[in-house]
Amino acid sequence: MTAMLSRPRRRGVRATLLVLPAVIPVAIVVIGGIGTTVVQSLGLMPLVGTPALSVKTFEGTDDLLSSALLSLGIAVVSTAIAAVVGFFTAVLIISGNWGGRIVGALSAAAVTVPHLVGAASVGLLLSDSGVLARIFGIPPESWPALVAGPTWFAVIAEYAWKESAFIALIIVGTLATRITSYDETAAVLGAHRGARLRFVVLPLAAPSLLVASTIAFAYTLGSYEVAWLLGKTYPEPLSVMALRLFNSASLTARPEAAAVAVITLLLTAAVVVLAMLGLRRMRAWQ
Amino acid sequence: MTTELMTSAITLTSVTKSYSTTAPAALHGVNLDILPGTSTAIVGPSGSGKSTILRIIAGLEDANGGRVRLSGRDVTALLPEQRGISMVFQRPLLFPHLTVLDNVAFADRAAGVSRAQARKQAREHLEMVQMGTFASRSPQSLSGGQQQRVAVARALAAKPSVLLLDEPFSALDPGLKDEMHAMIASIRAAVNPTILFVTHDRDEASAMAERIVVLENGQLLQHDTVDHVFHQPASLAVARLLGGKNAFAGVIDNGVHHSAIGAVAIDGDVGSGRATLVFRHEAVTSTLRHATSGADAAALATPHADAAACQRLGPRELRGTVTAAVQRGPRRELVVRVGDADVHTEAAPGNLLSVGDPVTVSLPCEALWTVPA
Repeated sequence: MTAMLSRPRRRGVRATLLVLPAVIPVAIVVIGGIGTTVVQSLGLMPLVGTPALSVKTFEGTDDLLSSALLSLGIAVVSTAIAAVVGFFTAVLIISGNWGGRIVGALSAAAVTVPHLVGAASVGLLLSDSGVLARIFGIPPESWPALVAGPTWFAVIAEYAWKESAFIALIIVGTLATRITSYDETAAVLGAHRGARLRFVVLPLAAPSLLVASTIAFAYTLGSYEVAWLLGKTYPEPLSVMALRLFNSASLTARPEAAAVAVITLLLTAAVVVLAMLGLRRMRAWQ
Repeated sequence: MTTELMTSAITLTSVTKSYSTTAPAALHGVNLDILPGTSTAIVGPSGSGKSTILRIIAGLEDANGGRVRLSGRDVTALLPEQRGISMVFQRPLLFPHLTVLDNVAFADRAAGVSRAQARKQAREHLEMVQMGTFASRSPQSLSGGQQQRVAVARALAAKPSVLLLDEPFSALDPGLKDEMHAMIASIRAAVNPTILFVTHDRDEASAMAERIVVLENGQLLQHDTVDHVFHQPASLAVARLLGGKNAFAGVIDNGVHHSAIGAVAIDGDVGSGRATLVFRHEAVTSTLRHATSGADAAALATPHADAAACQRLGPRELRGTVTAAVQRGPRRELVVRVGDADVHTEAAPGNLLSVGDPVTVSLPCEALWTVPA
């Protein structure tokens, strides 16, 4: 065995040591948190009683399926709207004209607004006695149930608004330095604006669009504030259900809360895996 | 075989361009006529407006004033995609999400041609640049030279009447550049578009173009044949910009230029008065002079009896001493002290001249030219 490590190996060890201070806390929080939740959901860490391996929390939690479908529905619709709006917002920002600069500034401002504040604002705007209803002079009984209604309109609108700004800025960040060159190249090859959007801008934006949309989807699926403030009380999304069970007066509900969290985690992980597989198939990513 | 392209004349009339109100104008009222089917190089120092001219012709920049016409058709207000012009940039800018073949098929696909048909035509253009075997590769897997070949094929696949090249080969090594020049020559033989290209490389300009446009500070100094801009520059600035090293201020009297290197007879009607004598250092050679042939003296009277055009010319041989010698590949550049002046020359073949050697500098009368002082 040689006493000294080779230079590339030494460099690798050094790099590993340098990232450890960042990796260790993250690993403790993520792996520790997930591990605790999984263990608790399997009945191995009850607040009262004897630990016993069981999946009854998954079977016994009422409305788990309908809540999961509802959560997926909200996340899919709001993320899809955010992706479309975010992409076109990014295109507008990248165009560099005055309109684009204003939209860019508004997007940057929107990202800084906490979801809780955003939800309160959307509630004030869209409720039956809200700003819009008053502006249009529509009485509460005639105003559609946008807040806490059956369509989950306000929840989806809030997520779509906030996440579209996030997606737009991510796309702008990845395209800003190179899209002008490729756009000019396509133009002098005879491609009109629509063809450039379809054959150049969209494919080049696709990797960042997919990654940003996946992040937005994961966030939307896992966060509870907006749905809790603006959604119906029943059925409830997974995140709201997990929070309610976790805060329940019944201590036996804790494993059920953990089970709901695990289901949410699995759904998110499945979507992330699919997104990563899709990303690897994209030529622009390679 | 690929269809021959329609080729267009390019006419710029009083084109001006300023990028800001505080900065100097990038172009000052440029007038330019490019004949259809020709290849023209634009040369000039950095910031002289070379690329700006190309971008205005392509429609990527709006001129502040003036008109751009292609074969008489005013295209000033048209978008780039409506002009029928292709442009190759300094960077190949191949679309990273497309294969080599699909990059070349891009123009047809954007025009609504089916994928199969577009790829069929793209293969022909790839073959034209000897890149047919790389069709299924990704652009990132190609070398810089290969990428630039594909970029040229992609531009040609758009069937442009004008092909603009903005320093496309500047990042390539000399061997690859020669290959690219040969490729452009074969493309011209096959499809003959009007070519206008920007380059910093004087050798490249003369290798690829029939005519050269010289720009400085946004002003067109000369537009002429390659031979004329090198050997008969319009001004001292043109001579300097094209690498001319010999310039001797003086006075013309009765067809003879008098300067620090002595009296040198000039062919043709050169008028009289103050003028600067210029000649290319590549056009004058130095040979070793034996010590017995006399002391250094400027402007010996040794008429050329065998050159009919130069019958009346008198002095065209100078005597001097080598003060500097630099080997550039197979050529040996010399600085020869003649009287109080330095003359830049090249060593004649077989003359391994060194600093301190006495030499005779031969000035062919065809190489001599005067520009306004």
